[in-house]
Amino acid sequence: MGDAERILVIEDDHHIREFIASALESEEYRVINAGTAARGASEAVKHIPNLLLLDLGLPDQDGVEFIRDFRGWSTAPILIISARTQESEKVAALDAGADDYLTKPFGVSELLARVRALLRRAPAQRTEDTPLIRFGDYSIDCVTRTVMRHDVPLRLSQIEYRLLLVMAANPGRVMTRRQLLIQVWGSQAAENDEYLRVYVGHLRQKIEATPAQPRHILTEVGVGYRFQP
Amino acid sequence: MTIALQRIPNFWPAYAIPFIGVAIGSIVVSPLREVQYLSDVTLLYVLAVVLTGVKFGRGPAISCAITSSLAFAYVFVPPYFSLAITKWQNLLSAGIMLLVALLVGHLTASLRSHAKTLEERANRSLALYELARNLAGKQTSAEVKTSAIRFLCDTLQAASPELYFPADFDTPTSPLTTNLIHASIEYRHLISTPDGTDDQSLVILPLIASTGAQGVLAFKVSTRVIESSHYRELAETVASLVGVALERTHFAEIARQSELKSADQNLRFTILSSLSHDIRTPLTSLIGTVDTLMLARKLPPEKQDSLLNGLRAQAQSIHRLVSNLLEMAKLQSGGIKLNKEWQPIEEVIGTALRQANDITQERTVTVDIADDLPPLQFDAVLVERVLWNLIENACKYSPERSPIEITASQNGKFVDVAVCDRGPGLPHGKEEEIFRLFQRGVLESSVPGAGLGLAIAHNITEAHQGKLLAMNREGGGSCFHMQLPAGTPPPLNFRD
Repeated sequence: MGDAERILVIEDDHHIREFIASALESEEYRVINAGTAARGASEAVKHIPNLLLLDLGLPDQDGVEFIRDFRGWSTAPILIISARTQESEKVAALDAGADDYLTKPFGVSELLARVRALLRRAPAQRTEDTPLIRFGDYSIDCVTRTVMRHDVPLRLSQIEYRLLLVMAANPGRVMTRRQLLIQVWGSQAAENDEYLRVYVGHLRQKIEATPAQPRHILTEVGVGYRFQP
Repeated sequence: MTIALQRIPNFWPAYAIPFIGVAIGSIVVSPLREVQYLSDVTLLYVLAVVLTGVKFGRGPAISCAITSSLAFAYVFVPPYFSLAITKWQNLLSAGIMLLVALLVGHLTASLRSHAKTLEERANRSLALYELARNLAGKQTSAEVKTSAIRFLCDTLQAASPELYFPADFDTPTSPLTTNLIHASIEYRHLISTPDGTDDQSLVILPLIASTGAQGVLAFKVSTRVIESSHYRELAETVASLVGVALERTHFAEIARQSELKSADQNLRFTILSSLSHDIRTPLTSLIGTVDTLMLARKLPPEKQDSLLNGLRAQAQSIHRLVSNLLEMAKLQSGGIKLNKEWQPIEEVIGTALRQANDITQERTVTVDIADDLPPLQFDAVLVERVLWNLIENACKYSPERSPIEITASQNGKFVDVAVCDRGPGLPHGKEEEIFRLFQRGVLESSVPGAGLGLAIAHNITEAHQGKLLAMNREGGGSCFHMQLPAGTPPPLNFRD
C-alpha cells in the first residue's frame, strides 16, 4: 500500500470525480473512486481510507445516513461536497459527524487546502495532549485556564473561556451552532442560538482587532463558525 | 343597529292592562260622582282610550272603549252599580262616549302605526345605506363575505350565517343541502324552511347579480321574524347588494390577474433576450478558448496561462449568473421561507466582505459600523446575498482601484447599511427603476450581468419589510442603502 494517504472519493458525476482524482493524485495522494454510496461503502471497508470525500447528492443513499454508518466504525475525517441550495442538509451532515464542507462550484486550490488541513489534524485530535494552544497573538493555557495576549492575561468569563477553548481546539474546522452549544452549555441548550451569537460577539470584541471583519472566529452563514488560528 | 320589525305586543297584557286601569280608575273616581258632572268623567274615559291607542294599538283601544262605556254606565250613571240606565239623556251620553272613544282610539292607533312604519323604513334605509357604503370599499370576495355576515348578525338577527360561493355549493354544512341551494337560485328569491328545532327557520338567500348567482347566504332566524314581509324585503335587498359587490370583486380579480399575466409575458420576453446575450457571450469565449488550447498545443506557456485564466473567469461569471437566476426564480415563485433570527448585522457584513474578497482585492474597502447597533431579525444567508450583490455591483460599475465604503448606522426605526462607490453615479430620475428585473443603468453595456443582482437584493430586502434605496453621492458616485427594521429582540437569560 505504501505511505501515500488514501482518499476515498464518492461522487456520482464522473467529470467531477475525474478532476478531483487528478488534482489529488498530482499531490501524491492515492485516490479510490466510487460512483454510488453502496460502492463507496464496500471500497471504504476494503481500503480503510485516511479521508473521505463525499458528495451529499448521491442517487442511491442519503449522504447523512452514509456519514452515520461510516462514523460507526471510522474516525477518518469526512469532507462533504454540496450544492449551495442544501444549507440545512449541510448542517445535518456536519452534525452527523462530517468535518468540513465545500460548496459547488469550488476551485482545486480550495479543495487541496481543505484536504491538507483535515489530514494534518487527523492524527492528533485529542487536545488534552497539548496543554498550550497558540493562535495569532494569543495562547491558551488549559491547565491554569488562562488566555494570554503577548503575556498580558485576558479577562474572560467562564463561558467565554469554554467557548474559545472548544473553537481553538478545532482549528480550521467548521463547527455547527448545535455542536458548539452542546459542548459549551450542555445538551439542554442545543437550540438556543442566541446564547452563541451573544457570546461569539463578546469574544470577538475581546480578541479580534476589528470585530466586524474577524480574523479568528469566522462566521459560516447558515451553518456555524470556523476557527482560524 | 337592530331594526324592530313590526313589534307585535304580547296579547294578554295589551288587553288586560287597560282593563284593569279602567276598573281601578272607575273605583277611585267613584266617590266623586255626586260632585262631578258626568261629562267630565267621560273625558277621563276618552283619555284612557287615547293612551291605550298610543301604547298598545287598535285592538286594545277598541276593547278599552267598550270597557270604559260599560264602566261608565255601571259606576257613574244612576242607578249606581247597575248597568240599567233609566234616563234617556244618560243613555245618550254613554252612547256618544262609546262612539267618541272608538273613533279616537282608531285614529290614535292609525297614527301610531304610521309613525312606527316610517321609523322602521328610515332605520332600514339607513342600515342598507351603511351596508352599501361598507361593501363599496371591499376589494376581495373574502372581505365582502365578512361584511355581509356581520350585517346579518347585527341587523337581521341571523344566527350562524354562512356565505357559500359557487365552488362550495356541493359541500354545504348540514342542515343546508345542495338541493336547497339550487332551489333558491332557481326561484331567485329567499326561501325558508322550518329548522325542526325550537321555532327557528333556515333561510337561504340567493345572491343574484347580472351575471348569475354569485353565491348563497344561509342563516337561521326565528320563524316569527321570517314571516314578516318587511323582513323578507329587507333580506332580499341585502342579497342583491351583496351579490353586486361579489360580482364587482370577481371582475376586479380577473382584471388583476390578466394584468399580472401580461406583465409576466413581458418579463419572460425580457429575460429571454437578456439571457441569450449574457449566457452566450461567456459560453462563446469559453468554447473558443478551450478549442484554441486544444488546437494550438505549442502556444507559449504564458499565453496558455492567460487563456486558462480567462477560461476560469468566464466560468465564474456563468456561475454567478446562474446562481442569480436560480435565486430569483426561488424568490419570484414565493418558494422562499425566511429563516429569520435575531443577530448582529456586523456579522453578515463581515462574511459578505470575505466572500467578495476575490473581486475587491485591488480596492480599498473601508468599513464603518456604528457602536451599539441593536441586533436585527433577518435571514443571514439572504441578507449576506444582498450585501454581496451590492458590493459586486459597486465593483462592476466603478473604475478599477476606486475605493468602496461600507457604513452601518441606526436611522430612526431602521438600521441602514450603505455600500458606496466612486463610479459615475445613477442617471437622474432612474433611482427607482434600476431595481426592476433586467434593468440596467445603461442599456446594452459591455458590463456583464443581466441586471438580476439589484432586483434580487430589492426582493430580499422587501421580504424583510425593509427598503433598498439608491442615491447619488456628493462628490460623485452612488450609494445603495439597505434599511432593515429594528425591532425589540426577545430578552435573554444567561447563566454565566
